[in-house]
Amino acid sequence: MFDFQLLIEMRGLILQGLWNTVWICFLGCLVAVTFGLVLASLRLTSPRIFGPPVAVYIELCRGVPLLVILFLLYYGGPSIGLRLSAEIAGLVGIGLYGAGYFAEIYRAGFLSIPKGQLEAARMLGISRLNTLRRIQIPQMLQLIVPPGTNQLIILVKESALLSVISVDDLTKNATAMVNQTFAVIEPYLTVALLYWLIIETIARGGYTLEKRLARRDSLPTPSPKDTSRDAHVTS
Amino acid sequence: MATPWSCQWNCLHQQATSEIGPFRPIERYKPGEHPRFIARCSASSAKHFGTLMLDILIDNYSVLARGLAFTLIVSLSAILLGMLMGMLLAFGLTSRFTLVRRLAGIYRSFWRGTPILLQLLLVYYLLPEFGLNIPPLPAAILTLTLNTAAFQSEIFRSGIMHIPPGQVEAARMVGMKTWDIRRRIVVPQVFRLTLPPLTNEVITILKNSSLISVISVTELMRTSEQIASRTFQPLDTYLVAALLYLAVNLFLARLSAHLERHMKGGLAAE
Amino acid sequence: MSHLEATTEAAFSNARRAQAESLITAHGLGKRFSDLQVLEDIDFDLSPSEVVCVIGPSGSGKSTLLRCLAFLEPYDDGSVYIHGKLLGYEQRGGMRVRASEKTIDRVRSPIGMVFQHFHLWPHRTALQNVTEALRLVQGLSRKHADQQGLAMLERVGLSDRAHHYPENLSGGQKQRVAIARALAMKPEVMLFDEPTSALDPELVGEVLEVMKQLASDGMTMVIVTHEMGFAAHVADRVIFMDQGRIVESGKPGTLFRHPRSERLAQFLNTWRERTLT
Repeated sequence: MFDFQLLIEMRGLILQGLWNTVWICFLGCLVAVTFGLVLASLRLTSPRIFGPPVAVYIELCRGVPLLVILFLLYYGGPSIGLRLSAEIAGLVGIGLYGAGYFAEIYRAGFLSIPKGQLEAARMLGISRLNTLRRIQIPQMLQLIVPPGTNQLIILVKESALLSVISVDDLTKNATAMVNQTFAVIEPYLTVALLYWLIIETIARGGYTLEKRLARRDSLPTPSPKDTSRDAHVTS
Repeated sequence: MATPWSCQWNCLHQQATSEIGPFRPIERYKPGEHPRFIARCSASSAKHFGTLMLDILIDNYSVLARGLAFTLIVSLSAILLGMLMGMLLAFGLTSRFTLVRRLAGIYRSFWRGTPILLQLLLVYYLLPEFGLNIPPLPAAILTLTLNTAAFQSEIFRSGIMHIPPGQVEAARMVGMKTWDIRRRIVVPQVFRLTLPPLTNEVITILKNSSLISVISVTELMRTSEQIASRTFQPLDTYLVAALLYLAVNLFLARLSAHLERHMKGGLAAE
Repeated sequence: MSHLEATTEAAFSNARRAQAESLITAHGLGKRFSDLQVLEDIDFDLSPSEVVCVIGPSGSGKSTLLRCLAFLEPYDDGSVYIHGKLLGYEQRGGMRVRASEKTIDRVRSPIGMVFQHFHLWPHRTALQNVTEALRLVQGLSRKHADQQGLAMLERVGLSDRAHHYPENLSGGQKQRVAIARALAMKPEVMLFDEPTSALDPELVGEVLEVMKQLASDGMTMVIVTHEMGFAAHVADRVIFMDQGRIVESGKPGTLFRHPRSERLAQFLNTWRERTLT
């Protein structure tokens, strides 16, 4: 029933789609993680100056669909002299959109460290900088991994939108395969499986990272029960 | 074609080099003595920039309204149907029967773990293979429902698990049957408990509805595309679309905060 | 000089000497949370090697008093002096201005504090918790810091748990590590904010033992506590607070057996009923 021969014939399209999806997602997520950190740090260091603009930026990322952002960058960009290729527009879109969410994740992680630990540090005479370096950041790193992994997975799924701005990603090539072969099940199910593989890799990577960080700094190790991989896939 | 931004730059360049003469360093201007060229040009181009978006909004008011209406209809239907299905799935996930739990888990894994766009294409192009020819709008609602049900099932599941088991035990001791317990004790509390993540999901559904433009449902996104290709003003058109989405989402966030305040009554362990 | 003048003169010089020796002094200390007056007109003196216990019902302001003495909360009225230096504020040309973090740290460096919920750093072992400040603030090398840290853990009876993480320690052990951590910085005064209130009853004893030992070693301590037995046997002075004011203060023997205020008598009665039934 399932025509594997078809997949072998179409392997060119499949591999091209896979490659495009992977590299654009990878770089886009990198931008999102880094730029989100920048935003969160700005808000942390001078809350009065940077607080409102960063908050507005985060609200925009929450309230506007990624598709609109991609359209603005790719189709609307040329009006202000911004001529990006579809791939770069997609990368930038994912990066800017994800940065808002990551900034929020960093902030939540930072705030969830009990204030009492900071008071104890103050009473011992430890400076604000050292408290940040040695007490807050090490704990934050571990706290951030689950929601961070979750967000990366969401971004990967959203990357399917790249097909709409004509990037030859997995989704677009799936449709191309359908048009060429008139088979529907094989292309779409294969592509679904490939997405699922990418997502599972990220989820497992996150889980391993959590365990690795826990062992090194020894916060309580996460049990498989409360870091169920499915829990990563929430919106 | 003159766009607001290019106008501004052209203006500045022209005025600066021909009419007024070379620039003076900005500190040399006394307060209130605005350089004429900057004032004149920025005023006109700001007006131009702002009014272009306003023009688009006004000229295409009816199509945009129709598109927005479709967006809202599809989203609302998906939310409500998804809520029903999500709640049933959540009961499946917390069922005492392993098989039921497994099946519910598989459903959840698939619909949460794959891109919505792919799901839309899958449903839209796959169903005709089995003889079911569904028009785009119901297909869109169906896919969004199936998708959101998976996410909501997880939200409701965690809500169900937050209800102290003692309450269910007490109900059973009084002789209530499982479905009565679920209907009258579990469900009302779960809604109150899960209002925040539910709001997030509602906002997400609204944003995801923009994707159904791909299977040619004429909701807000597709309408914007049509306007953009007609007026050759993609930037401003999509900015209008962005603002409309933002407006709806901000309204929803307010509404949910309001609801949360009113639903504060009588929860178990908060 | 008349007899009256002589005794007054003696009284003044005693007071001056006492103030010079006083480690912590508070005059007219007051604090508000919006319109609620949490502390009102508190006068407080602390002499070296003195052990003071602060008791009172919930909401009486005991913890707030301690936190104001450490300037973990800013106070609104009055002054707190540590070794004669004003804590938390500076006088700038007749106006009182909040002091910089560095100045505050400098003034309160003789104080060590132990919290109700321990507040150990979960990503550090017991020993690392103790040595963290030694290395960061005093700049000790790892070898020296570990040496001193182990000595502190020895003092609280936990040298065998030095390399355990807080999640593997009982409540009593965690609190003892917290005490070792504060002791490592060689404070002159130790403040305890309800150190045993968050502990299971069986674990309270080990912490009180350590505190008793500290007191007999001559440490100056201010302890907010509900442990009346401890206060009765170890304290040099007991202060009873209610609704933000100091109602009574004196030797534990006198205070517990002959309370002068109605409020204290009530408080002691409820405590007696609860423990004896």
